[in-house]
Amino acid sequence: MDQDITAAREKFLNQDFDEKSFSVPAEKTIEYARLCGETAERFLDASHPDFQAPPTYIASLSGSRALPEGFPRFGIGMDAGKGIECFLPVRPGTTITGRTHLHDIYSKTGRSGRMVFAVSRIAFYDAEGNLLANSDSRVVMREKS
Amino acid sequence: MLLDLHTHSIKSDDGRAKVENYCQWIRSKNLPIDGFVLTEHRQFDAESDYSALAEKFDLCILKASEVETEYGHVLVYGVTPALQAEFDFGSISLPLAKVIAACNAHGAIAVPCHPGRPRVGMFAHTDALGVPAGVEIVEIYNGGSRDQEDQIAIEHASQLGYRGIGGSDSHIVSHVGRCATRFDAEIKSIDDLVLALKTGQFEAVNLKTGD
Repeated sequence: MDQDITAAREKFLNQDFDEKSFSVPAEKTIEYARLCGETAERFLDASHPDFQAPPTYIASLSGSRALPEGFPRFGIGMDAGKGIECFLPVRPGTTITGRTHLHDIYSKTGRSGRMVFAVSRIAFYDAEGNLLANSDSRVVMREKS
Repeated sequence: MLLDLHTHSIKSDDGRAKVENYCQWIRSKNLPIDGFVLTEHRQFDAESDYSALAEKFDLCILKASEVETEYGHVLVYGVTPALQAEFDFGSISLPLAKVIAACNAHGAIAVPCHPGRPRVGMFAHTDALGVPAGVEIVEIYNGGSRDQEDQIAIEHASQLGYRGIGGSDSHIVSHVGRCATRFDAEIKSIDDLVLALKTGQFEAVNLKTGD
């Protein structure tokens, strides 16, 4: 692994750099589900006994900052995709807390030269501190050649 | 026996294909290949076991790796724990000489892939760095090649006396089998594959063009 990537990993990985609260209004999750084409009643009917936000709803929530303060500028950043992991249902009508850390930093070479990837992970917790889900946002920074 | 020697699954950070979906695609489209080798980027996927899928779909599914060197990307067939201990598969600046030496020491074989490609192909670097020692095979047909990249690979390989393999470099299911390698021998294991590559009993096939 390149020295600058190793140094960035050592300095920035797995350290929370942002915390934000999110209310989860039922009307918003229902609208989200409807726009996604969901048909399952547990996502659409607030009176359903297992009423919950669609799993991908958390991908629409973003923290106050995407990268930690002082993170090196390897190049111009572009969205390189998102991913989620769900552990427990997100219940509409509650407030959840998102804590953000850098989950991974790595590099690869492609047709256009070296590219550095940073994976920012927001871990969402309920009021009891249970981990509900992880939302990963991947940013690619292409170095100027 | 026809094998696609260069594929990526979701184990690669830019791969979007599940191995099962490759199998389904190959069979549903009646592709003429008998199997494929997973060459995940900058890693060796030691944990995944595809033997059940191989049996279910009657396909040969093998595992290898694609590492990154100062000469561009290189496929490594015959990865063992001992070979993995020799160098950092995750590095993007491995010395090719070190990769080749380690492969030779551990019964593996290193094959520069898409060598005609700018930046990540070996022949983009030979003017500046010289022709590397120890290369015997390069990928002359790559399913992701653009423009004249394969032609550059073929011409340089011919000049330098390299043998050529073919692989699709697929990252999505519909690209599997675009290029492949035909073997005289039946390949059932990675050891069979390495042996066939070392003994030269193969030819590259471009299924996009029929060459």
